[in-house]
Amino acid sequence: MTRAAWREQIAAMAFLTPALICFLAFLVAPLIATAVFCLMEIDRFTFGMTYVGLDNFRYVFEDARFWKTFLNTFQFIAMAVVGNVGLGLLLAGLLDRALPSALRYFLRLAYFLPVLIATAFVSYIWKFLFDFDLGAINYYIRLLGLPPVGWLTDTRIAMASVVIMDVWKHVGFFMLILLAALQDVPRELREAAQVDGAGPVRIFVSVTIPCIAPALLFCVAYATIGGLQVYDSMRILTNGGPGDATRSVVMYMFSEAFGAGELALGAVSAFTLLIVIAVIVAAQMWISRRWIR
Amino acid sequence: MAAAPRRPEYWNRLFSATQALHWRNLPVCIALTAGAVVMLLPFLWMFSASMRPTGEAYQLPPNFLPDRISADAYLKVLNSPIPFLRMYANSLLVAAVTTAGVALTSATAGFAFARLKFRGKSTLFALCLVGFMVPPSLLLVPLFFGFAATGILDSIWALILPGLASSLGVFMMRQFMLNQPRELEEAALIDGANYLQVFLKVSLPQMGPPIAALSIITFTQSWNNFVLPLVLTRKAETMTLPVGLLSLADAYGDFSLAALMAAVTMAVTPLFIVFLIGQRFIIESVTHSGLKG
Repeated sequence: MTRAAWREQIAAMAFLTPALICFLAFLVAPLIATAVFCLMEIDRFTFGMTYVGLDNFRYVFEDARFWKTFLNTFQFIAMAVVGNVGLGLLLAGLLDRALPSALRYFLRLAYFLPVLIATAFVSYIWKFLFDFDLGAINYYIRLLGLPPVGWLTDTRIAMASVVIMDVWKHVGFFMLILLAALQDVPRELREAAQVDGAGPVRIFVSVTIPCIAPALLFCVAYATIGGLQVYDSMRILTNGGPGDATRSVVMYMFSEAFGAGELALGAVSAFTLLIVIAVIVAAQMWISRRWIR
Repeated sequence: MAAAPRRPEYWNRLFSATQALHWRNLPVCIALTAGAVVMLLPFLWMFSASMRPTGEAYQLPPNFLPDRISADAYLKVLNSPIPFLRMYANSLLVAAVTTAGVALTSATAGFAFARLKFRGKSTLFALCLVGFMVPPSLLLVPLFFGFAATGILDSIWALILPGLASSLGVFMMRQFMLNQPRELEEAALIDGANYLQVFLKVSLPQMGPPIAALSIITFTQSWNNFVLPLVLTRKAETMTLPVGLLSLADAYGDFSLAALMAAVTMAVTPLFIVFLIGQRFIIESVTHSGLKG
């Protein structure tokens, strides 16, 4: 390398150092440590480690409770993805037209506001809206003469309640992304289809959907990865209950690692989730290369 | 910021012929407005419940507008044994330091990736994007382990340090600089400036808008962070608001609903302010990061 090239190399390293230290110390090192912890038994007081091979994996994978929380998490994801992306697409479709700009401003603000306010704050509000005896929702249900619903206490309904709050909280994000995608669909394509005699439904399915497919795929992958980490809402709304009906994998990780003090078992559940996330990201990339464009 | 002088423009557009309400769209407008009101109802209920005398917060029918103004619940929170103001200050401190740190590391790294030639560039950039795939909540076990081993568990630093590695920040800054013309930097180099001078005098002054957007996003994320502080802080004196609220809600026997809602109202107020100030920045960066990420 020439002298000037050396100077540039050294300058680049200097500019990158602060960021690289952070990434290595708080992302890469913990990532490697998670993999190592999976193979160790960790003493909860001295943090001393002994190698135990795959024993931790065997313990976690033979624990029926782990699979129950895994199943719960995927049940949550299935409902939350359909709710968030479906309702987000509907709202984006409704917003994608000539509206008075003051109204558009208000709508964007109202739908996006919950995205910014943490689950850890809004869950308390919803907990009381969902309350059986004194909650606002059951008050109106009783007013209609219907039997009140055990939103957070009924095993079959609690998960749906968590999803309802999740959709309320996140739908604005998906709406914004899908709205931007819809606004990028070339107007001529839709007009051409209209001239050829296609109805609005046909245009939506055959023209609009293929055009926004990359954004849709991103939304589904994003919602799935977010759903894999669901914790805050379940911790505050139901604390996993009733029974284990709303206990997610991350809650399992918490109770093993920080409740029971079995750090290695927590590492195994986190590692399993990281593998699932890697598979989803790889699948998203594969699908978009293979099927889209 | 740009919010204030925009109003006349909206006002004109509202009454201009092309942007006025199309009668065909009226049902859609009504449906969207009704939906937006439903989105805002939980916040309205939160506020009016916080205004109730502490014994009457549960009163039905639920009030979505406060029927009186009373600061009792707020005083109860501030006078409670839980150091609410201390937690508030912790939240502000953690969010402010994290935001400044992320802005610094992202701006320098983004400058290096966009403007300098050096070996290992693509590898290092890929390393900086790992954070998009690895959620911090899944790195809790090693982070807890590492902080416990180095003795900074239960300190402000345990909450700040993991937030400094921002893949979004590095990505945003690089992307922005790649779209800026590089002639100015080249001219400064020819005039004999060194790389630090080029960064400080030429590049950094251009980065205002993306740094503003990144700061808003980082501040909000840090303010909202729940899972990490839940594990990394034990003492009430080092807790931030999301975890503090949980201990406040757990001590519910002494805490009325009105007081809890007053605490939540105070906790979310900075987010409302940030959102009203930075609405345009936030919405633009969400739509862009979504479509390109």
